[in-house]
Amino acid sequence: MAVAETAPRAAAGQSFERASFTGSASEYFGIWIVNVLLTIITVGIYSAWAKVRRKRYFYGNTVILGRAFEYHATGKQIFIGRLIVIAFLIVINVGTAIFPPIGIITPIVILIALPWLIKRSLRFNARVTSYRNVRFDFVGTAGGAFVAILLGSLVAFISLGILAPLASRWTWRYVFNNLRYGDRPFSSDPALGRLYRVWLLPALIVFLGSLIFGFIAFVVIVGSATFMSESANLTDTQLTVLSIAGIYAGVFSYFILYGLAGLFYRAGVRNVAWSAAMLDGRHQLVSDLSRPRYAWIAISNVIVTVFTLGLMRPWAAVRLARYVNEHSGIRINGDPGEILSSIEASGAAISAEYMDMEGFDFGF
Amino acid sequence: MASESSAIATGEWHPANSSRAVPAILREEGVLLVAVEEGRTLASAVPERIEISPRVGSIPRRVRFPDGSVFETRDNDGVDGYLRVRRGPRNGLLHRLEKFHPRLILMTLAVILLATTIYRFAVPVLVEVAVLVTPPFVPDLIGSGTLASLDRTILKPSDLPEGERQAISEGFSKLAAQSKGGQGAYRLNFRDGGVIGPNAFALPDGSLILTDDLVKLANGDREMILGVLGHEIAHVEGEHSLRQLYRAAGVAALVMLIAGDVGSGVEDILTQGGALLALSYSRAAEAEADRRSVELMRAAGYDPVALARFFAVLEDKLGDHRDASILSSHPGTPQRQQDIRNYAAQSGGRLQAR
Repeated sequence: MAVAETAPRAAAGQSFERASFTGSASEYFGIWIVNVLLTIITVGIYSAWAKVRRKRYFYGNTVILGRAFEYHATGKQIFIGRLIVIAFLIVINVGTAIFPPIGIITPIVILIALPWLIKRSLRFNARVTSYRNVRFDFVGTAGGAFVAILLGSLVAFISLGILAPLASRWTWRYVFNNLRYGDRPFSSDPALGRLYRVWLLPALIVFLGSLIFGFIAFVVIVGSATFMSESANLTDTQLTVLSIAGIYAGVFSYFILYGLAGLFYRAGVRNVAWSAAMLDGRHQLVSDLSRPRYAWIAISNVIVTVFTLGLMRPWAAVRLARYVNEHSGIRINGDPGEILSSIEASGAAISAEYMDMEGFDFGF
Repeated sequence: MASESSAIATGEWHPANSSRAVPAILREEGVLLVAVEEGRTLASAVPERIEISPRVGSIPRRVRFPDGSVFETRDNDGVDGYLRVRRGPRNGLLHRLEKFHPRLILMTLAVILLATTIYRFAVPVLVEVAVLVTPPFVPDLIGSGTLASLDRTILKPSDLPEGERQAISEGFSKLAAQSKGGQGAYRLNFRDGGVIGPNAFALPDGSLILTDDLVKLANGDREMILGVLGHEIAHVEGEHSLRQLYRAAGVAALVMLIAGDVGSGVEDILTQGGALLALSYSRAAEAEADRRSVELMRAAGYDPVALARFFAVLEDKLGDHRDASILSSHPGTPQRQQDIRNYAAQSGGRLQAR
């Protein structure tokens, strides 16, 4: 593998470069299976170190302009973070058993603390990431996180997704406008019109999909009613079987519809937000994921992973990382010059681990 | 220089916290490890004070000097060769384990074996512990929450005549009095089931819901209804729904912990699908509840095999002749009737012998 040229790209020139993923499924399989085995043998303790190896593998194989990213969190840091989160959960549960009102107060407290946890989590993840020996940083506030993420989700939810682009705009502005690469700021102001353009297709998927599934359900119910009137003694029970099957089919199709729409939306919004983002006010980020292709990769990944009981997960993870990286890039405008890192400590991993356990993933 | 210095790897050197990159060579010079650029020393230190990042696949290695400057190289083998000489052959063991090699097949088999063992033995133990430490208000919360949301969506108030409800409630009280929790632990609710048809189900807090359609299906056979209610009481007694909930949650959590990263799609399936799965009882729980119904019915002075009659009606009306199905967690109805009669005969025999 050729080591990149050291001098920054042609000074003052303009160049566009895509990222790439240099890892392979076979290489990652070894790392993954050893991670799994050691996690089981150590009753879960190794999982913290496993996470670091996994992250280092993916960051270290994400290459742009000839240089790779690096993940700096240590296993010990992650382990302590998890330990504190688990201790907290145990204390809450024991406390609730002794004094039940704690169980009602805790969720409220966590909800209030959530913006702060989000902010800390984003900061930790930024600070443990470096590129060319320069660390990223995140300077967003808890208030910002409250508006961008909590209020945004609420608005999107209450409006039944109609205002989702507004929420996405708030979220991505919060993320990019507070992100720093060394001493250089990122900025992004995705236009609402563009966000609505990528919202249209997923919205149609949900709308038309519901109509079609609703129509099918209607036909089934009417059909069974006709059937019922013909064979009188199978009445109620027959209908029960049909309606229970119907409920399951309904829930299932709901998952498919929202899952598909979600994938299309996520890819579309990423394209818009990234392509509107700048580093240092002049280098433009680019994302050009094909939405059907992205959705196809994500869905087939899930199917392959489930049917191989997880054994093909490494292949799936590498496949998605490769696709996403190859459709991300940067347009360098002039000589970036020497960039200096300003932060020293990454801080504790507690918030990041808590958010991770709650299913939030703010990777960069 | 007298001592011949040996190059370890070529790469780039970054000053502390800077993106500036200088092509450099890492080499050993006497006791020192140095980064040099065409004869100019960029950084040097004794190896003890230098951090070298552990190898992961073939990602770049970082050699961090005490002054904060970093030498970065893709020549992993060069660095490994040096480390093996310096720190002994055990260095980099993890990476060697991870290498693509037939040994990985063995590891995969070990993982499959261990995962199966955990699923079969560790998960049930974890579930029991969780049930044991669950404070009593949790089932109450789940129960009242579920009933409220069912009332809002599917269920409607019962249309049964007051006398009918009264009669069933009286029988139910006698039955509940025989259970572990006693009469006070259960509440019987009558509802019009709407789409769920003839059904009875129990919530973890001891609320039982009986649909009008089931009462109609019984066609005046009250003991049969009580048999079904006995079965539902047993589900509450055995905390079956709580167990099922913990089981689904526990499996999802374990998969995510052990596999590390399963992807957001699989994660969704595990959490949402697990919740759906938690709505049904396991085959063993159903069989246990059937047997308990026999015991409760006998203790309350009713026909112990009334529940079997219910299954017979079900079989007749529904055409449910399956012996067992892979899709359903329920044992097939004919099999269940037989099991109930066998159990009633066995336990009845024991009682008489005493």
